[in-house]
Amino acid sequence: MANILEELQPLFRDILDQPNLRITRESNSSNVEGWDSLAHINLVTAIEQEYNVKFSIDELLVLKNVGEMVDLMEIKLAAK
Amino acid sequence: MNSYQWSDLQIGLSDGFEVRLTPDMMEAFASISGDTNPLHRNRQLAMQHGFSDTVAYGLLTSAFYSQLVGVHLPGRYALLHGIDIDFVSPAYPGDILNVSGEISYLNDAFRRIEIRANIKRHGEKVVSKAKLRVGLQTP
Repeated sequence: MANILEELQPLFRDILDQPNLRITRESNSSNVEGWDSLAHINLVTAIEQEYNVKFSIDELLVLKNVGEMVDLMEIKLAAK
Repeated sequence: MNSYQWSDLQIGLSDGFEVRLTPDMMEAFASISGDTNPLHRNRQLAMQHGFSDTVAYGLLTSAFYSQLVGVHLPGRYALLHGIDIDFVSPAYPGDILNVSGEISYLNDAFRRIEIRANIKRHGEKVVSKAKLRVGLQTP
């Protein structure tokens, strides 16, 4: 499976408008500048459309960081 | 005014309207925006640059995307989150503009709608294309 974390780098840079941003598995809205509620919606919807997956609100509410999102994506993509 | 709620929406749902772009609208937009660029104000100069009249402000015509979202699709419970716009060709005062949009994506978790929209002059030439990101409020 492709390295999802690396694939997500340009998406995060674009939506958070930070050309030099480098996200890690530990990145979340508390430690990344500009990751506000609207950016969060933009990030999730962009991932859904890019990877043709769907997240429920229950799945999203328990995610603590990018790493957990990547793990969830891997599960969903493997099930396709 | 339409009042679509989340359960009413589906991908492919579309709506639109027609509006005449008037000189009064141009004057009002110049006053509000402070954009006094002569391409929008001086017909002779605009024609010297190859246009057939003073060029309508792109953000004036794009204001009709606000009406599309807030009044028509989805209407009352809409909150506009963002727009990506490409200006394709000019519009001119007196033009009849056809504004239309179609839902292209729905996100259940955040009740986010995406609408592919465009504005055409006299139903033919595309003036602008837009992707509209819209939240739907709970009634």
